[in-house]
Amino acid sequence: MEVTETWYLLLSALLFALGATGLLIRRNPLVMFMCVELMLNAVNISFVAFSNALDDLSGQTAVFFVLVVAAAEVVVGLSLTVAVLRRRPEATADDIASLRG
Amino acid sequence: MYSDFLRDYLIVVFFGILAFAVVGAFIGLASLVRPDRPSEAKNTAYESGVDPVDGGWSQSQIRYYIFALLFVMFDVEAVFIFPWATRLEEYGMFGLVEMTIFIFILALGLGYAWRKGVLRWV
Amino acid sequence: MLIAQEFVRPIIDWHGVAPELTLLAIGAMVTLVDIIWNEKAQRIIPTLTGLGFLAALLPVLTLWSDRDELPRVMWDGAYVVDEYSLVLKGLFLVSAYVVVLLATNYMHDGDYYEGEFYQLVSASVVGMLVMTSARDLISIFVAIELISIPAYLMAAWRKRDLKSNEAGLKYMLMGVFASALMLYGMSLLYGFAGDTRLAAIAPALRSSESIPLITLAVVFVVVGFGFKVSAVPFHTWAPDTYEGAPTPLTAFLAVASKAAGFVALMSVVIVAFPEQSGVAEPLLWVLAAVTMTVGNLIAMRQTNIVRMLAYSGIAQAGYMIAPLAVFGDVPSSAARAIVIYLVIYAAMNLGAFAVVITAARKTRSGEISSYGGLFQYAPGLAVLMTLFLFSLAGIPPFGGWYAKYQVFLVLVEPATTAGYVLAAIGAVNAVLAAFYYLSIMKQMWFMPEPNGDHTRVQITPSLQAALAITAIVTLVTGVLPGVIPDVGDLVVALP
Repeated sequence: MEVTETWYLLLSALLFALGATGLLIRRNPLVMFMCVELMLNAVNISFVAFSNALDDLSGQTAVFFVLVVAAAEVVVGLSLTVAVLRRRPEATADDIASLRG
Repeated sequence: MYSDFLRDYLIVVFFGILAFAVVGAFIGLASLVRPDRPSEAKNTAYESGVDPVDGGWSQSQIRYYIFALLFVMFDVEAVFIFPWATRLEEYGMFGLVEMTIFIFILALGLGYAWRKGVLRWV
Repeated sequence: MLIAQEFVRPIIDWHGVAPELTLLAIGAMVTLVDIIWNEKAQRIIPTLTGLGFLAALLPVLTLWSDRDELPRVMWDGAYVVDEYSLVLKGLFLVSAYVVVLLATNYMHDGDYYEGEFYQLVSASVVGMLVMTSARDLISIFVAIELISIPAYLMAAWRKRDLKSNEAGLKYMLMGVFASALMLYGMSLLYGFAGDTRLAAIAPALRSSESIPLITLAVVFVVVGFGFKVSAVPFHTWAPDTYEGAPTPLTAFLAVASKAAGFVALMSVVIVAFPEQSGVAEPLLWVLAAVTMTVGNLIAMRQTNIVRMLAYSGIAQAGYMIAPLAVFGDVPSSAARAIVIYLVIYAAMNLGAFAVVITAARKTRSGEISSYGGLFQYAPGLAVLMTLFLFSLAGIPPFGGWYAKYQVFLVLVEPATTAGYVLAAIGAVNAVLAAFYYLSIMKQMWFMPEPNGDHTRVQITPSLQAALAITAIVTLVTGVLPGVIPDVGDLVVALP
């Protein structure tokens, strides 16, 4: 069986869906970050697959920016998590509710 | 016209269903297959046959953490330098100036961390 | 296999990117000052940043006076400087200046990090300036993240307050989720069009093949931006974040950051989706209707003024989405109406927050009940608040009515049922909104001071300046609406 772009796109859609569901159902801030990373990397796979299929470089350029932005987001997110966990050890996203929307 | 329109949105519904189905299937399948016989002995940490002392969780130094965060940031930013380096000669003076500006801005971040005492190993 | 092409040095129109470069230089300078003088420099940094925003306004003005040269198209159409982007650049720079004025005393009196706050504000504003000109998926993404990431940090600025930490974490989780959704949509768009430039995507979406996936892409992108502009049902982060964050930053989020989300939404929808207006319009219609209604209904029940302003801001966002629900027929007037709304909304909302920050210097409270007797001990402040609230409610002759009027004009322009119904929903909501704005006025004008404390509110010079700027803009835009420059058409330029 030949591996075509379709397979990569399917993989990317699956990873994205897994990440999204994970983010919505998991309650540990750290696991939620991992899910976000999963979603962003799914996007990267789809960018690269399209870039390869279209023979166009801008998709690969996009991956560079997504990677760097994801790293920045994680650094910011982890510092925020540490700030919260210092005050409230073992907090989950449900416990973080002194503000109720 | 509206039926066309609704059909367009159908894929969004399918996508949602698929997302839940996949996760549901994984979790469901796992719970079907796995045996479920919890016992106290199974829940202890395996330490090469030696009985563990104290809890399995221990805190690592927070100072590693800050260094790790800084490292991740600068490490990933370096990704922009690699494609530039492969075509170094062609970019000429223009590329040199661009990269100098980029590295200057990165250096500002490092300078800031240094000045605020983040790099000190306390 | 991709073959390396000959490197051609891109032609950069230095005048065109001068505002961004100026602000970048100022931001770097502020950081350098902070590095060199550390604690000693904390007093001058706010002034320096404020002047920086004004300095970046200069090239915007020279570009505007040189209007014959517009549009200036750079990087193969990925970056466009036109009337639309210049007006918005001006809006962002002035709003950011007002936010710095609001923050000066707040940050100094509280025990907060000062230098870093202003550096992050400048970084965020650079992102906004880029956003106004970005006509390319990648630059839009980078711009929106440059705006958001500093904002996540600033929301958690009151480091020792759990509420503020939560505000930051919630904002961050929702924001990142939205970015991921938006990016996935963008990757699909790129896959169909084979190009990341918005102007090149538009014609590619015309083809009838694989329509379901195009729909998916459009939905993802719109929903992603929906989070950023806090449209219902993606608004849940907004009230919590607004309440927990330091109030000047709340003003920044509610005005500048939200406006930036709208700019992105507008650019993408109007430039890239005209061929898919059948998909995007109903989605935006529902978002607009739900956003204004739910925002207003929840705003009525709030007892904390910042939360109330947050929900009122959500309702106002509904009005700003509304013109996009008919953008297929009237793209230019939709863009024009939104820009006018953004300008006026920025002035009146920043004004309301300026009053809240000033009053909190005495009352130390955000409860609406603490506004009792404001007219007796601070008549000037009460009058100004009345002005801003009247404007927010859309009562002539203050700016707000003109903004709403423009939105209604656009909605009825294409003479479709959808447009008329949305206009009717908007009108009902304007009446709903008047209730809660008037309840604050009742507190200020007729209720007694809760603690019987009649000392005057001390208004610092920077707060005076902020109040003056916002009040003048709110008044002038209402009386002489013509002063808001025309934004022209959104330029669809591909060299």
